[in-house]
Amino acid sequence: MKDLPYELWEPVIGLEIHVQLNTKSKLFSTAPNRFGDEPNTNISVVCTGQPGALPVLNKEAVRKAVQFGLAVGSKINLISNFDRKSYFYPDSPRNFQITQFENPLLVGGLVTADVNGKTMTFQINRAHIEDDAGMLKHFTSFAGVDYNRAGAPLIEIVSEPCIHSPREAAAYAMAVRAIVLYLDASDGNMEEGSLRIDANISVRPKGEKGLRPRIEIKNMNSFTFLEMAIEAEISRQIALYINNPQRAPIELIPPGTYRWDPDTKQTILMRRKESADDYRYFPEPDLVPIVLTESYIDELRSTLPELPHDRFRRYVSDLNLTEYAASTLINEKMLSDYFEEALKICKNARSLCNWITVEFAGRLKEKGKTLLDIGIPPAHLAKLVQMIEENQITGRIAKSVADEMVASPGMDPEAIVRQNPDYQPVGDIASIEPLVDQVLAENPQSIADFKQGRDKAFAFLVGSVMKLTRGKASPQVVNELLRKKISQK
Amino acid sequence: MKPFHLCSAIELRDAFLKGEASAVQIAEHFILRIEKHNKEIGAFLSVLGPRALLKAEALDKKRAHNKPLGKMAAIPVAIKDNMHIQGEITTCGSKFLKNYKAPFEATAVRLLEEEDALLIGKTNLDEFAMGSTNENSAYFPAHNPWNLKCVPGGSSGGSAAAVAARLALIATGSDTGGSIRQPAGFCGVVGFKPTYGRVSRYGLVAFGSSLDQIGPLSATVADAALSMEVMGRHCPHDATSLDLPGESYTFPKNLDEIKIGVPWSFLENLKPDVRDNFNHSLDTLKSLGAKVIHIDLDILKYTVAVYYILATAEASTNLARFDGIRYGVRSRNAKTLENIYEYSRKEGFGPEVKRRIMLGTYVLSAGYQDAYYKKAQKVRTLMLDAFEKAFSDCDAVALPIAPSGAFEAGSIHDPLEIYLQDIFTIPANLAGLPAVSVPSGYDSRGMPLGLQIIGPQMCDVPVLQYAHAYEQASRHMQIPPSYIGSSK
Repeated sequence: MKDLPYELWEPVIGLEIHVQLNTKSKLFSTAPNRFGDEPNTNISVVCTGQPGALPVLNKEAVRKAVQFGLAVGSKINLISNFDRKSYFYPDSPRNFQITQFENPLLVGGLVTADVNGKTMTFQINRAHIEDDAGMLKHFTSFAGVDYNRAGAPLIEIVSEPCIHSPREAAAYAMAVRAIVLYLDASDGNMEEGSLRIDANISVRPKGEKGLRPRIEIKNMNSFTFLEMAIEAEISRQIALYINNPQRAPIELIPPGTYRWDPDTKQTILMRRKESADDYRYFPEPDLVPIVLTESYIDELRSTLPELPHDRFRRYVSDLNLTEYAASTLINEKMLSDYFEEALKICKNARSLCNWITVEFAGRLKEKGKTLLDIGIPPAHLAKLVQMIEENQITGRIAKSVADEMVASPGMDPEAIVRQNPDYQPVGDIASIEPLVDQVLAENPQSIADFKQGRDKAFAFLVGSVMKLTRGKASPQVVNELLRKKISQK
Repeated sequence: MKPFHLCSAIELRDAFLKGEASAVQIAEHFILRIEKHNKEIGAFLSVLGPRALLKAEALDKKRAHNKPLGKMAAIPVAIKDNMHIQGEITTCGSKFLKNYKAPFEATAVRLLEEEDALLIGKTNLDEFAMGSTNENSAYFPAHNPWNLKCVPGGSSGGSAAAVAARLALIATGSDTGGSIRQPAGFCGVVGFKPTYGRVSRYGLVAFGSSLDQIGPLSATVADAALSMEVMGRHCPHDATSLDLPGESYTFPKNLDEIKIGVPWSFLENLKPDVRDNFNHSLDTLKSLGAKVIHIDLDILKYTVAVYYILATAEASTNLARFDGIRYGVRSRNAKTLENIYEYSRKEGFGPEVKRRIMLGTYVLSAGYQDAYYKKAQKVRTLMLDAFEKAFSDCDAVALPIAPSGAFEAGSIHDPLEIYLQDIFTIPANLAGLPAVSVPSGYDSRGMPLGLQIIGPQMCDVPVLQYAHAYEQASRHMQIPPSYIGSSK
């Protein structure tokens, strides 16, 4: 696969993202909208499709969907309708889904995302409200259905086929997730299925106008899998075209639904689409249209929170973070909020960002935890960075302090430093000077090198002094002393 | 006092309130009548004897303690068996739901019960309310108390027969294309379909959701009005429920200044006895001061075609939930998921239900939807416009209830001919209008006929006022002779 002439082909990708809204109750009933409870406990006569039960629309779901539309600049239809989408499956309690087909709530919109340091915008085709299905559970001798999820409110966000690489797809999806997190419209938890992504993929030789047949990959539950699945599928399609130049595209890539198998790292065919599915959409007679007023929309617009991309721009232009660092922060709202809190105490944004996204993230990664769930308050992290800033501790000591903060979360870094004499910085010139002299005496060659302009040599000298102080000396003091003494020689 | 079953519902309630009869006596009287007559009439699918007696005892206690009593106090009320009484079986006249215990109470039923009605039984119907003769009940057909060989009409045939034979004084019905009014007409009782949205559909097993409406069948217009005062309430569980306050009914004596429109061109092929009866009814209205004018509703000739597209389309999805997975009867022969769907529905549904599901599925299918479903929706909109225009010239529209009186069971086999039975009742459903059927005399065979009065949307009160004036002037309300006598 590695030898494929990738650069001669253009992937065309569209994503359908289902976002489960974090409303208190379900879309059409008062049953709790909650994940993880005992099967069939969060249900009502509506979400089990009892005869005689009727749907009543949850206004909170509409509000969250409209907020999403405002966040991405969709056209918000003042009148939109629900339709019935018919298909038989045990997790569908009425054997039809209530969705918006003809006349959706949201039309169009743009999502801005950072793709490898480049800002790109992606076009949304439409977004609509619909209800979720239950979940089938297979046991050894039977299958059961859990309707706890049935009727949970979803917005389905359909992109244009404007995505041309796995990386772009992941960046777009992450940006959508970040938006719903910032709006507090969803918990965006992919493992629990609060955010589910289906990808439609085709490839074509660069320059070809029309679209070739596409397939759909369902339900990839992480961004990594999303990227890997799309990557694998693109390769599969290109290989098929290259190895069978004489055959028609539709024969090679017949429409079908695939899933991603993380073990074999391949896309696996679930079912062929023999002919277009006939869902027999028609207007849902049990519900009246969603009718919105301009003043309602204006009010929601005026109360929109800061959105991830606004934050991204602020981080890059005002705080001077790299694009990579900024997008790492903003894609997890809680991490970004953590950063904001820390920023109130310590103004060195780049250093703060580094300690959050590299130092602590690295320490916590093996534990599978984050700063937030381990319980290190932003103020503690900020104080740690601030101590480095003020030359109270060296970077090296700071790393040890960080280790202790991870080991006993909630410990104030100032207290950790105070309690450990080894962490007290050595700032007085009197105690450092002899060590500087010793290092200079032992390394005449380095001095010569430095004088010829080799900065590495100076760094070596600094390092040697630090070693002798066991990392406790203030690097600034050591620097100054060394320069002074070398210039005197 | 006169036998309980010869009273109107209001008379009986007042007798109870005055202490002339106890609720237990009333309940026992009607339970006994049902026991005696239901075998031949087939009006009830289930009798709620113990439940009614329990309620009656409670009412007698309430009265003894001078506690306030509801508007329906001690009135024996029958519930069509497609509406839920919590904890009781709702069969919908189908084998599929023979074991289905309702997990919640229909709003209309709850309101009746809160006003102290005695819920006495569940009435027979065409399976899932699909039919005009009650012959489509999966259990047994109901019969017309005026002539047991004749059908009672449908789909609320059991409710109409129950009231006609005075096995209950009020019964609920549901009306999708005439299912309250046509059986009311066939059985010589009053039947009222309110404005769409007036009575909550919550707890009514849906047939055609945009057409279904619950309403009362009763011996008198005043009893129907009383039922509407109780059931006609906004309900938060039904998104299509009208958000309006409940209405109260008063009855003026005459119809001065009232204009009644008749779409004569729509009535060209009426049978002579039905035409004579209809003309006679119009004369009565005129004698009350009403003016009868001609109106143009030619578009109504598409009524049956439009209805059997829209109603079946909605029904095909409404009935999709009956799959044998969660409730109802699952086929014992099913081995796979596909089997469960296929066999459960094959064994659980009768032929008329299957026919309508297939028809509805077809008209919604890709490639056919534009020609059928969408076109029918357009015609429905034109009908609404036509009615609106008509009502700018008149206060109400008068029509017969059906092309004929009740016919003999088994005499019509062609489904299309049966469908045409609904030609005069469907328009009110398509346009969401309030419409009443009030007894207007008899055909040449002595079977009851009904006059239909249709009003503009929300004009439920005026429609029943006109019907009341007509009823008082014409006095066609009678009890079939064989059911006048007391069962004791």
